[in-house]
Amino acid sequence: MKFYKDHYDVIVIGGALAGLSSALMLADKGKDVLVLERHNLPGGIATSFVRGGIEIEAALHEMMSIGEKNNRLKVGKFLDDMGVDIEWLKVPEAYHASFPGVEVTLHPGFETFAKEVDAVVPGTYDKVLAVLSLCHTVFDSVNELSIHPMSKPMMLLKHEAFVKTAGYSTKEVLDTFHLPKEALDLLAPYWIYVGTGFSELPFTIFAVLMADYIGYGSYIPKKLSHEMSLKMAERAEAMGVQIEYRQHVEKILVKDGKVYGVRTARGDEIHADYVISAAYPNKVYTSMIEPLSEVPEKAIKMVNGRRLSLSAFSVIMILDKPAEELGIKDYSIFRGESADTDKHYRDLKGLGPYRYITCICHNLGNPGVTPEGTCSFSITTLPRVDGWKTVKAEDYDRVKHEVAKDLIDYMSEYYGVNLLDYVLEIVIETPMTIAHYTGMWNGCIYGYAHTMEDHIVARLQTAEEEHFIDGLEFAGAHQISGDGMGPAVTNGRKAAKNVLDAMARKEAAK
Amino acid sequence: MKVKGFLQDVTGASRVTKARLEAFASASTAPERIDPIGDVAKAWHPGKIDLVVTEIREASKTAKTIRFERPDGEKLPFFYAGQFISLDFEIGESVISRPYSISSAPFEARGEHPFVEITVRRSKGDGFICDYINDTLKVGDKMRGNMGLGQFYYEPLRDAKHVVALAGGVGITPFASMAKEIAHGTLDFDLTILYGSVSSDDIILKNELEALKSERIHIVHVLSGDEKDWKGERGFITAEIIKKYSAPDTTYFICGPQAMYTFMREELKKLAVPQRRVRFEVFGQAKDITKFAGYPTDVADKTFNMTVVRGISETVIPAKATESIAVALERAGIRIETACRSGECGFCRTKVLSGNFYVCPEGDGRREADKDFNYVHACAAYPTSDIKIKIPIE
Repeated sequence: MKFYKDHYDVIVIGGALAGLSSALMLADKGKDVLVLERHNLPGGIATSFVRGGIEIEAALHEMMSIGEKNNRLKVGKFLDDMGVDIEWLKVPEAYHASFPGVEVTLHPGFETFAKEVDAVVPGTYDKVLAVLSLCHTVFDSVNELSIHPMSKPMMLLKHEAFVKTAGYSTKEVLDTFHLPKEALDLLAPYWIYVGTGFSELPFTIFAVLMADYIGYGSYIPKKLSHEMSLKMAERAEAMGVQIEYRQHVEKILVKDGKVYGVRTARGDEIHADYVISAAYPNKVYTSMIEPLSEVPEKAIKMVNGRRLSLSAFSVIMILDKPAEELGIKDYSIFRGESADTDKHYRDLKGLGPYRYITCICHNLGNPGVTPEGTCSFSITTLPRVDGWKTVKAEDYDRVKHEVAKDLIDYMSEYYGVNLLDYVLEIVIETPMTIAHYTGMWNGCIYGYAHTMEDHIVARLQTAEEEHFIDGLEFAGAHQISGDGMGPAVTNGRKAAKNVLDAMARKEAAK
Repeated sequence: MKVKGFLQDVTGASRVTKARLEAFASASTAPERIDPIGDVAKAWHPGKIDLVVTEIREASKTAKTIRFERPDGEKLPFFYAGQFISLDFEIGESVISRPYSISSAPFEARGEHPFVEITVRRSKGDGFICDYINDTLKVGDKMRGNMGLGQFYYEPLRDAKHVVALAGGVGITPFASMAKEIAHGTLDFDLTILYGSVSSDDIILKNELEALKSERIHIVHVLSGDEKDWKGERGFITAEIIKKYSAPDTTYFICGPQAMYTFMREELKKLAVPQRRVRFEVFGQAKDITKFAGYPTDVADKTFNMTVVRGISETVIPAKATESIAVALERAGIRIETACRSGECGFCRTKVLSGNFYVCPEGDGRREADKDFNYVHACAAYPTSDIKIKIPIE
């Protein structure tokens, strides 16, 4: 029996947000696309699961780059344009920040946010607004330059702030504003969404993050992230994309420096001119390319020269009391022993105790998401893969429970109730869980760390020369835009654009 | 706009690009293939593994315990006591998978001589795989299985330190696993098993359970049959009996025949046990789907055409209205991956492209968005018209 066509224009390995975005964009241009996904549903970690009859969000905290219905940002607009009709709910606040001596809920909107910070640290309104304005200017430049590249002198003329801050870390730029520490602390919480401390994090990344989230707020799909993943997959299929689940691609076939197909664990050899891989370059270049002799040394040096970023550790609980009765008041809470991002980033290298965490109470952004009288509460930290790499299979369950217990105790102390007394369902997600369901390299969900040696501006500059095998593109957190579900869509579109450009070049050469 | 100084500011992009190229230039050229986190994930969940039957012994006059080992004698995957194994049976042209609670303990899967066991009772005429296991399976037979599945296990961050297990018939198996693991010192709670059987002859794993009794493990047999010289508890496992053996904070685990689930829900209601203290094992395949609310009984005797899409191919097979989509596929020799066979786990997630279907309301584990797009779990969905489905290529 024949399950595949003799040939496809493009094979996409991985049916999560990046791969599906690639597929949508290519199908929109009339290309013949096959998506192979190893799991039996789309989305990767943008998914949900059911326990005891209750559907539970697996990973999504909040989506950036969506925007209001009539004023969409790039991800929201792309999904609208592709006909992916998601029921978005706006997250009510930016976040509740909880650090020693500080308890404040901040809301999106630059003025609102600056006013709320000023109420906690008087006299900072103008400076905080100035930081956010600078962020917004850089954000606009990044968005425009990603569509219309221009010469360096022209860039300096038209995108001065972007150019002048590109070579600096977040700390270096923020220092020029001379904000009191207490105010800086309130600007810090989202750092965990990009995953490096401020002395290493490029300011460009911080600027985009803050402008997007604080400027425009964040969104979640009403029927959890599975709604988003499934609607993208369904739309892609309606546009003619063939999606096959439970198909694990083991090899990417290359001859004379050019991709010609893939082989699955089932043994199917499927041919295409282009392959877009959501599998990490680390895995592709060290074990998936067949033959491995087709992998140039430069590709190995590239993956070895980069630092893997963060994985995730989440304790997700369904509690048998409504949020209000437990004292939970906010959808999103960031809590830490301090707002020292560099220290926390160092601590993420170990196995805990993790003292910088992000909690979500889903019901407060999505009323009715769990049955009456219950609420869904998750505690997440995003450890680096280093510590978890040392955990042996026989110790895994013990370590997982110790870390989970510590995080639950940390938040129980915060609310003054023992959360363990209310647990109806509990699921502990670890880097291993992620590796199991998605096959992501070392369970890493953030791709490569955003650092001054792996800067988004440099990633853009050198993209061409880091393209080692003809016809092979990558889509996922390991690509230019980095981690996050919004950037996943952008990374997927970029891979599709590279394929379309290559096709056009070939067509022109004929 | 000034950060540090004009020249330093405007050369930022060149500076970071240079830093990148230098980092790559000085990086190692040795391919690093290690993914230790992925390796741990595989040790727990390797997917389908090869197994060979190494021992079959009586577990009662009507049940047998089957021991499986890996052909190479290697250790078996980690799992939690109470979980099940999904076994693939190759019968004729078909591969049929069925879940069985593991009756051996997790430590036994990782010992010097690693093995995993299931205990299966001969059916009363409605379970041909159960009979196949009891009558046909023999030492040396090879098969494949996926183990460490299901949510029916003790979770220390959720469950009370005292557990009362309510077991009926062959539903004793997950508790046998838990009891062995407690006795071994690798699972930490007090377990009282209230075990309902018809007669003392029917008690499955009787001797093994007897040997496990200790300060932490209590086994109370409750016989429903009319056995004259029986001195223990009699009748069904009622609220009264349950109360007698409960501690102030107790988690109840229930595994047994479907009728027992309905009964236990009522009994536990009488005791006002909070929902979080009650864990039911999956329901199992509905014995008679026509008995469920909303089933369109007017089509019950019909057989429909089911078009099965796999990749770019289509096959048409017959599908009875009273048999699940998964069963129709298995009868036609079309492979579908299933696990819990109860509609809960979603292993057999299937898209219905057109046609009507009925989903068993008991244990419906579908996601909301999946319902909107006509995804079903094939083991618990029944065709009620000609139907077209898409399933993964196996």
